[in-house]
Amino acid sequence: MAKQILFIDSELKYAKILKTHIERQDYNVTTAACFVQARQALEKPIWDIIIANPFIDVKIVPCLISAKETNSFMQIIILASRGKLETAMDLLGACALQYLESPISNKALDLAITSACKNIAMNQKISRYSEKIVNLHKEHDLLNQLFEEVPCYISVQDKHLRITAANKKFKYHFGNRVGGFCYEIYKHRTSQCSDCPVVKTFHDGKSYCTEEVLTTQLGKQYNVLTQTAPIRDEYGDISQVMEMSTNITQIRELQDHLISLGLMLGSMSHGVKGMLTALDGGIYQLEMGIGQKDNDRIVKAYGQIKLMAGRIKKMALEMLYYTKSRELDYKKINIKDFSQKVVNTIKTSAKNHAITLDISILENLGKFEIDSNWMDAALVSFLENAIDACVLDQDKKKHTIKFTVQKKPKERLCFTIKDNGIGMDTETKNKMFTLFFTSKGSQGTGLGLFIAHKVIGYHGGTVEIESRKGKGSTFDICLPILKPNNIKTPIN
Amino acid sequence: MKKKILVIDDDINIRDYLVSIFKDNGYKVIIAGNVKEGLSQTKKNTPDLITLDIEMPGEWGPRFYQQLSQDPELKNIPIIVISGLPGHECAVVKAVASFPKPFDREELLKTIKETLN
Repeated sequence: MAKQILFIDSELKYAKILKTHIERQDYNVTTAACFVQARQALEKPIWDIIIANPFIDVKIVPCLISAKETNSFMQIIILASRGKLETAMDLLGACALQYLESPISNKALDLAITSACKNIAMNQKISRYSEKIVNLHKEHDLLNQLFEEVPCYISVQDKHLRITAANKKFKYHFGNRVGGFCYEIYKHRTSQCSDCPVVKTFHDGKSYCTEEVLTTQLGKQYNVLTQTAPIRDEYGDISQVMEMSTNITQIRELQDHLISLGLMLGSMSHGVKGMLTALDGGIYQLEMGIGQKDNDRIVKAYGQIKLMAGRIKKMALEMLYYTKSRELDYKKINIKDFSQKVVNTIKTSAKNHAITLDISILENLGKFEIDSNWMDAALVSFLENAIDACVLDQDKKKHTIKFTVQKKPKERLCFTIKDNGIGMDTETKNKMFTLFFTSKGSQGTGLGLFIAHKVIGYHGGTVEIESRKGKGSTFDICLPILKPNNIKTPIN
Repeated sequence: MKKKILVIDDDINIRDYLVSIFKDNGYKVIIAGNVKEGLSQTKKNTPDLITLDIEMPGEWGPRFYQQLSQDPELKNIPIIVISGLPGHECAVVKAVASFPKPFDREELLKTIKETLN
């Protein structure tokens, strides 16, 4: 498109000659012969070049400066007589591109206009570049923000699996360890993992997805879903690989919990069927005993029914304890009476399995502050566990459970349950208080000792275990005699 | 002569129940609490019929059957499965019958009578 030129000069003849000459160069030229015409023309933001004699009226100078400020691409060429050029420079300074002496030759005017056009093109180019740089900065800031704030661990790795960049979440959990090896930081390993997805992506440029277990700098383990993506250089070669890991620990925990719940329900269902069969047995014995008027058989049947009703009740209570949250109801209880009651609960069961109970409850133990319902259930669970350990042991001919109650220093009362049953290996010992863990197959729900351990803990007590596989186990359950001041957590 | 039944079950209460039923109905009863004892009692007493639980501590019921079936003199002893485990009816292929816990007493006695006759 042809450049728009405004020519301001009061000498009309001279202006007309120059206009004719310039228009031959394919420019559109408009002339203004006085201040009023010039001001009106300058109000239009259409001019690429202004050729002006500022001395037709000095009021034209601020109009030129204002027009230049409005349109920075516009170029001003000043034409003035030799004696006035200095003054024109003082008035307009760098606002004008050139100061030319009037009258001007055609050649000089052509060069001046060409120079102005080059300046316009250069300025427009610089302006476009500036705009692009601003946009690039904005995009860089946005990408940086996305990289830093995205809620997953992002690291960029080189071919040696060294981390070259990492985002905020990564640094928070794994430390600011740019430069370290991926396998050292993510997994605390000394060599790279087999089947590394980053190595695979370097090899074929494809994205890989794996599930990994990462260990943070504080030693906490997280399940993550990891995806890789190649980063290519200007030649299209893969120079780095980005690894994005989403934390799915909570999902996995929920999944494990649901699996455990499913297993427990299956196990409980099986257990209930066994108890109902045994209850049927009790009822049968009772019917036969009544029919035959056999008192011994009736007594035995009654014992059987009572035992099974007790077991079903216990299982129902365990389920209840597991699903409901309760506060502890502390009361002062006579230690000897309480201990005797606990032992009496399991006497029949021990007798049925020919297990000797060796009871040692000291006199004058006084009272202690507990929630007796909870504590009774907890200690019975430990004693039943000891009976089960003896029943499962087929190597020893005689089995004994020793139950000792004694006071220990620092106002503590200790219940010691020692059996010579099957004993535990380290894995069983470590897991024995885990929810739904049972080593008794269909006979256990995995709730009893889990709840018992919680009960002891909420009373401010401790459980210490010594066990050897094939030899037997000793449980030391120690409780504060008085209710601790800082009991705050309900059992759930 | 009284027919001999071997009861293999780890639950003492269920074992007692089965012993009472069988004794009350004129059978001689032998008991075992696990697979190892069950095999030992079978070899020692050669029962006419065996009732077998599936899930027991240590080896399970099907393992008892597997070991029994390798003995030509004992492999034809009829086995009745009594278990609370889902799928118990498929656990021992050659079992003459399979009863879920809690079982129907009359039905169990009827099956035993028919099997032994």
